[in-house]
Amino acid sequence: MEERPSMEVDIVCVGFGPAMGGFLTTLTPALAEFPEAPQVICYERADGVGFGVSGVVTRARGIRQSFPDLDVSQIPMAATVKQEKVLYLLDPVGASRRSKPVKALDAALRTAGHSDRFAVELPYTPEFLHKTNGLILSIGQFNQWVSEQLMMTGMVQVWPGMPVAEPLIEDDAVTGVRLADQGGMPGMDIRAKLTVVGDGPVGPVGRKIDEVLGTPPGFERNEWAVGSKMVIELPDGVDLEPGFVLHTMGYPEPEIFGFFYVHPDRLASAGIFVPSWFDNPVRTSYRYLQHFIQHPYMEQFVKGGRLRSWGAKSLMESGRRGEPFLCGHGYARIGEGSGSTNVLTGSGVDEAWTTGIQLAEGVIELLREKAPFTRDNLDRAYVTRRRSSWIETEGRAAEHARNGFQKGFIRGLVGMGLAGVTKGNIVVHAEVKPTHERVGTIEDYFSDRIPREEIAKIREQAKADGTPLHDLLMDRSGWPPIEYDGQLLVTHQDALLMGGKVQASGGFEDHVRFLRQELCEDCVTQICVEVCSGEAIAPNKDGGNVPVFDKEKCVHCGACMWNCAHAVDASGRTNIEFAAGGGGLHSAEN
Amino acid sequence: MANSYQVVVCGGIVPDPLQTLEPVAGPAGPALKNEMMLPAVLDPWAGHALYEAAALARKFPGSKVYLVSLAPKAKLQQVMMTIAQRVPLELVALDGPGGGFTDSAETAAALAGAIQGIAGLDRSKLLLFGGWESASRGAGSTMQMVAERLGIVDQFQGVDELQIGEDGSLRILERVEGGQHQVSVCDAPPALLGWATGNLGEPANNAQVGMQNMRTIMPSLQKAKPTQLKSGIAFASVALPKLQRETRIVKDASVDEIAKEIADWAAAE
Amino acid sequence: METILFLAHTEADGGLAKATLEALEAARALGGVLIAGLVGASVEAAANSIAGCGASKILGVAGEAFGESRYSTDAAAAEAIAQAANATVIVAAHTSRWARALPGVAQRLGAAVDTHVAALSADLKATRWYYRQRIEGVIERAARPRVILLDSGCAPAYAGAPGAAAVELVNVEITPALQRTRVIGKQAPKAEQQTIRPDAAILFVAGAGWTKKQKDGQTHVADAGKLILDFIGSANSSLGSSKSLVDLSGEGQAVLPFLSHLNQVGQTGSTPRHPKGLATCCHGEEPHVVGWRFIKERRAVNLDANCGWARGKADVLYVADAFAVIAKVNELLKAKS
Repeated sequence: MEERPSMEVDIVCVGFGPAMGGFLTTLTPALAEFPEAPQVICYERADGVGFGVSGVVTRARGIRQSFPDLDVSQIPMAATVKQEKVLYLLDPVGASRRSKPVKALDAALRTAGHSDRFAVELPYTPEFLHKTNGLILSIGQFNQWVSEQLMMTGMVQVWPGMPVAEPLIEDDAVTGVRLADQGGMPGMDIRAKLTVVGDGPVGPVGRKIDEVLGTPPGFERNEWAVGSKMVIELPDGVDLEPGFVLHTMGYPEPEIFGFFYVHPDRLASAGIFVPSWFDNPVRTSYRYLQHFIQHPYMEQFVKGGRLRSWGAKSLMESGRRGEPFLCGHGYARIGEGSGSTNVLTGSGVDEAWTTGIQLAEGVIELLREKAPFTRDNLDRAYVTRRRSSWIETEGRAAEHARNGFQKGFIRGLVGMGLAGVTKGNIVVHAEVKPTHERVGTIEDYFSDRIPREEIAKIREQAKADGTPLHDLLMDRSGWPPIEYDGQLLVTHQDALLMGGKVQASGGFEDHVRFLRQELCEDCVTQICVEVCSGEAIAPNKDGGNVPVFDKEKCVHCGACMWNCAHAVDASGRTNIEFAAGGGGLHSAEN
Repeated sequence: MANSYQVVVCGGIVPDPLQTLEPVAGPAGPALKNEMMLPAVLDPWAGHALYEAAALARKFPGSKVYLVSLAPKAKLQQVMMTIAQRVPLELVALDGPGGGFTDSAETAAALAGAIQGIAGLDRSKLLLFGGWESASRGAGSTMQMVAERLGIVDQFQGVDELQIGEDGSLRILERVEGGQHQVSVCDAPPALLGWATGNLGEPANNAQVGMQNMRTIMPSLQKAKPTQLKSGIAFASVALPKLQRETRIVKDASVDEIAKEIADWAAAE
Repeated sequence: METILFLAHTEADGGLAKATLEALEAARALGGVLIAGLVGASVEAAANSIAGCGASKILGVAGEAFGESRYSTDAAAAEAIAQAANATVIVAAHTSRWARALPGVAQRLGAAVDTHVAALSADLKATRWYYRQRIEGVIERAARPRVILLDSGCAPAYAGAPGAAAVELVNVEITPALQRTRVIGKQAPKAEQQTIRPDAAILFVAGAGWTKKQKDGQTHVADAGKLILDFIGSANSSLGSSKSLVDLSGEGQAVLPFLSHLNQVGQTGSTPRHPKGLATCCHGEEPHVVGWRFIKERRAVNLDANCGWARGKADVLYVADAFAVIAKVNELLKAKS
């Protein structure tokens, strides 16, 4: 390899998401006041600044703070929240795995005759779930819009298609970042006075900093979810007002929460969250999402519609419990990877954006003082701001709100309700275990539905075909097969080809690596294969048991990392390394 | 060799090739559904022209590469975020329609006007580059008209190679029928080269190049001239072709069976 | 009534190419007054070959300098003929020579120009593709003059009997400015390179899978190369490839030495016309398959039953190891011949 080049800038930023949007939007206007404007550069892994992100319903307090005169119509797919409903969905097919208390609840609701289309609308939406006056956004479109505003100032540079491999760490300071090697060329070292880390919870820079510089006491990132979502063109005859929002629970499994919201121009987003405390080892989000949109209540809106695009991402549901050191010498953390997500209100974008604002305000203060970006200075200028804001108070209140789910759906709901009403003063206590400690074997999980011998046969068949087990096991355990219509219900592989499709970008090494092959050889659960959002990880049908990874199909959701059935060290690091890589979904709306 | 060149590359933008395209009727004629939301890339053949221009400029110090582009400003800015990392260039931006349903003559007029506005352009050093066709209109006619407007009558299309001779002459390989290349030698610039793929790969991203470029690209985008195109084209229809075939998937047949079927099919008249 | 100028250049042998005769037939079908215009080193033979086409006159620009495919002289000749003919519609074949010259000529004449026209109706509605064969448009123009370049295959070739034609020669002065470019000649691809052969009945497309690791964890590029070349030889096939395969060289991977960008089919490659096409080790994704628009029968061999070909893009998808299948196919084809 050639010699590694390097370059110096003042501030280098990693990852262009909502947090970085908030940071750069706040920082940029202030840069002009400095006689020699600091050079600010931001690198984004995906091929476009709007690729591979998501959509969201958000209270948008931070976003509205940054854009007080925001004209929502300027952002494609954005709408103001008009109407919100929370629904409890009953099981119309009889395949959902419902505990006795849940069954009792279902029966009671049915007997009381409350259900319409197998759904019960909650008489009121708890205050803490309200997104009144909030925004419905396609984060892809929003990111593009934000980057446009930023780039047009000429004060900052945002470069997509440029994965950052790791931080440059010297002693206890971060001195910049190293870009990923590409096509045999060594990635450049970008040395900076300040490194702003906003690469999300599965980003390699944040994780490496945690690994090398350590984490605060009590730090824990055991709770996760895969969020998987479709953008759907609504069918003729369904006239929903943009701004209409549904939150659902109860179906397809009680552990799986869902959402549906309506954008302008007859588009809607429908999606689900598959959490780490859902103990099914074959936890496929795509198949469950297909059952979700076929629930009779959802079907009234989307049947006859057309799938426009699809996507998935990991959500770090430990929230405030997963907060790392927010700053250190030469660096600061913002956004979801900094533990800002509020797990009670299910809100992340607003919080992430706001942490960006707070860091920018701190950075401007330090620039004005000509003070260096040391730990103490960043602590004073940034962390203090964050601690005295709603991010901290609400994050604290939410910190343990979901722990009850570790012990089941009902206890989880009770815990959430209590935490919501008491602002976190009363919670259901439970130890939060990582996937590799929670999830048991496929044979045990399906023991009440499929005999072991039959599972063995299903395993053989899947191995020979090189396919995951989930479809075979779900078909066998009562889930109706998906009747593909080529419009809304399409195969997982077809979904990868719709609305922008998935592609690896040239020259980067495989970014998913199986560390200790012997652990994979002996692994019988292989949750990584089952959970993979793009079917990029598949069983090895040509001998051996180490799964095969095809980067051409990877959407970079990072779910493999936290769904591995094996830890390799005491820190909880799993046997799957999720490194920096280019490519992914080429969809700017999902 | 003391030559240096001013390479003016004309390059539009097209939807990212991975997007699903669908035509819709817009107020000003046909358009693509969600045209403003579709991610865009630099027109691929124009991209090859740009990479060739950059390689030439590297070889002949003192040379300069201009990229002249007509597209909606916001989309152009998005595309610049990837292009500007690869090739040192100066952008001349025109803010106007960049889709495929416009008239190439109108596009050519706008581009030629912008090129004439480049300060210090020296015809004796001028190489006009572009793609031999776009991936949007696919007409392969714009560049010839730009060159005509600039009075350039040494024109080449489907170019795969340019070599500069010791005497400064241009030796050019153009794609012609039968999988062959025509070899021509042009005395000197100015000349138009409409590039096919050339022989260069896509340059890797270079953070330093990006940094340098952005100092001029953003100001250029900020002052991009609003450009409107008239069109003399009336569209009687615009439609997606019927694509779907009934695919027969042969999954569990033996190699021998499959081979026999393919051999019979291949050999059949 | 329109005055139609059919504009043609001669080939090296002084005759007219098939695509040119197709354009003539399309021009004849338009009705109106037909004038023929010929450009070449000598145009008599060509004029005689179309003596019976019904042209009211045949104009010509002849001379050594016009026997070569060169923008400056081609444009000057076409411009002079168009001026002399005073035509409202100019029809020509979309050859590499006219595709290069006529748009600029249209600019000089103040004419509108439509290129890559796939079909032309009697009322001058032109069908052409947009977005690399992904969208089909039918267009009309009121503007005159109007230059129309027709793709091959748009009409049957003119097949009238030859005769003795009178050619009205139009003089074009050859100034030094028209001679700054010298045509040296044609260069065939290097001997070891295989290219797209337009006349072949079958197109063989090699995808990136040929150079990837096989079951044994190794690449077998030399074997792949031999299998592919054997097939090209025994099936007398044209050779295309996917972009990813010709791009691989940029990533420092083992590549097939006989492939270059000239073989590339698809979005940034060619859109060849063949009755049959066989795709091997190639995913069949949209940017590649747009280059298959004019391949009538399509079959694919791929290990992935979920590949793009399965989704209505191929007539038959064989889910199998191409190394084994093509080896066997080659054997069978050799036996057949």
